[in-house]
Amino acid sequence: MEKVEIDAIRQVLAGDRDAYRVLMDRHFHAVFRVAYRVTGNEADAEEAAQEAFLRAYNKLSSFRQEANFSTWVIRIAMNTSINLVERRNRDLSHYAVRIGDGPEPDRETAQVADRTAGPEQMLLDHEATTLRQEAMAVLTPMERTAFTLRHMEEMPIAEIAAALQVPANSAKQAVFRAVSKLRRALTPVAGGAA
Amino acid sequence: MKRMEHISEEDLIAYQMHEGADERSIHEHLEECAECARVSESIAETLRVFSGGPVPEPDLERNWRRLRGNLSVLSTEPRRFGWLRSHWMWPAAGLAVAALLLVAFIGVHLQHGFVRRPALAVKSHGPLTDQPANPALANHLDAAERLLTEVNNSSGPLDEAAREQAHSLLLKNAVYVHQARTGGDVAEASVLENLGRVLTTIDNESGDNQTANRETVAFRTRDDEALPSNSTLGFRLEMNTSGLLLEIRILRQNDTPQ
Repeated sequence: MEKVEIDAIRQVLAGDRDAYRVLMDRHFHAVFRVAYRVTGNEADAEEAAQEAFLRAYNKLSSFRQEANFSTWVIRIAMNTSINLVERRNRDLSHYAVRIGDGPEPDRETAQVADRTAGPEQMLLDHEATTLRQEAMAVLTPMERTAFTLRHMEEMPIAEIAAALQVPANSAKQAVFRAVSKLRRALTPVAGGAA
Repeated sequence: MKRMEHISEEDLIAYQMHEGADERSIHEHLEECAECARVSESIAETLRVFSGGPVPEPDLERNWRRLRGNLSVLSTEPRRFGWLRSHWMWPAAGLAVAALLLVAFIGVHLQHGFVRRPALAVKSHGPLTDQPANPALANHLDAAERLLTEVNNSSGPLDEAAREQAHSLLLKNAVYVHQARTGGDVAEASVLENLGRVLTTIDNESGDNQTANRETVAFRTRDDEALPSNSTLGFRLEMNTSGLLLEIRILRQNDTPQ
């Protein structure tokens, strides 16, 4: 860990809350990125990322300074994100709106991709986004996390496993299960057999 | 590999994700087996559909402002036993001890000053009765005392076993409260109700951390993912349990068979 981060942690522990901004400036994007991959939307990603930084702050006195703050806070973010996805899944009203009305603008993942496309393309993007979200909803939080981090963020299995505190083989199996489920979810649309 | 029947979906997924160990032989098989090639292409298409799209840029300044408002001032001093340095704690502890001595003094004098009556008649006078002996309640109080002592002396989040124990004790406690009330033992009911309140605090705290998904149980209980509320749990319990522990010890003593 760099000296500037070590100094920031010491200052925070000495009572200077604003010193935490140094750590947030350096790592919030990475934490947000992970949270976004797991939660699938910007609003939840921000919430999960903030919660991760808050937990890290409250646990800062127990943080071993020879460890990497980035790895630590990302690991926390994975769990806050998974917890948030679980909470959302349990919240039926939250979910019912999404299914009935289609994805809300702030829950879109594909709308980020192309805002300059024409109406037809946007409609197709919208439908594709809905399909993807419905397919991803089939995954357990762990499968979703392992899959998105491995496939979208190209994070090594070993790193994902360490962050989730599961054996590497479990993380790998979670990724494989996710792909299998997603493939089956898409198969009716593609018109093929599983 | 060429002559094997079909390659499993899992192996094909591993192949497409470059996690497999035998990519070359799978590649050769796919060139000859149309069925496996179709499944493999389906997997590849799935991966393409779910390829990582762009991630929006978070507003760092807004997020910092929101987070900043929730940050408490940290101190390098360990919080554990920090209550010993509180201004009000020593006088409060002194008052508690004095009250206890007074209760004990009154209890002893009542015991010697009056003609012995059946325990039912003096139940409402306080926990210092010499009867009844209820081993089950004594065991319950003993378990509660051990749990509260453990919680009081730990600084981190509760472990799974402690949470389960708190929940179990809470359920039993409700039964004992009911028994005490119906038996007319107001003092015992009062202590048990206090105990119930503390157990409810612990149980509610752990309820936030419980997971509906078996897979995530393991990582929900880790130290570094403790909910922020855990940091306040110990403080609240310290405030609530110091007197309660004394009451429980007295009550347990009474309910232990002589």
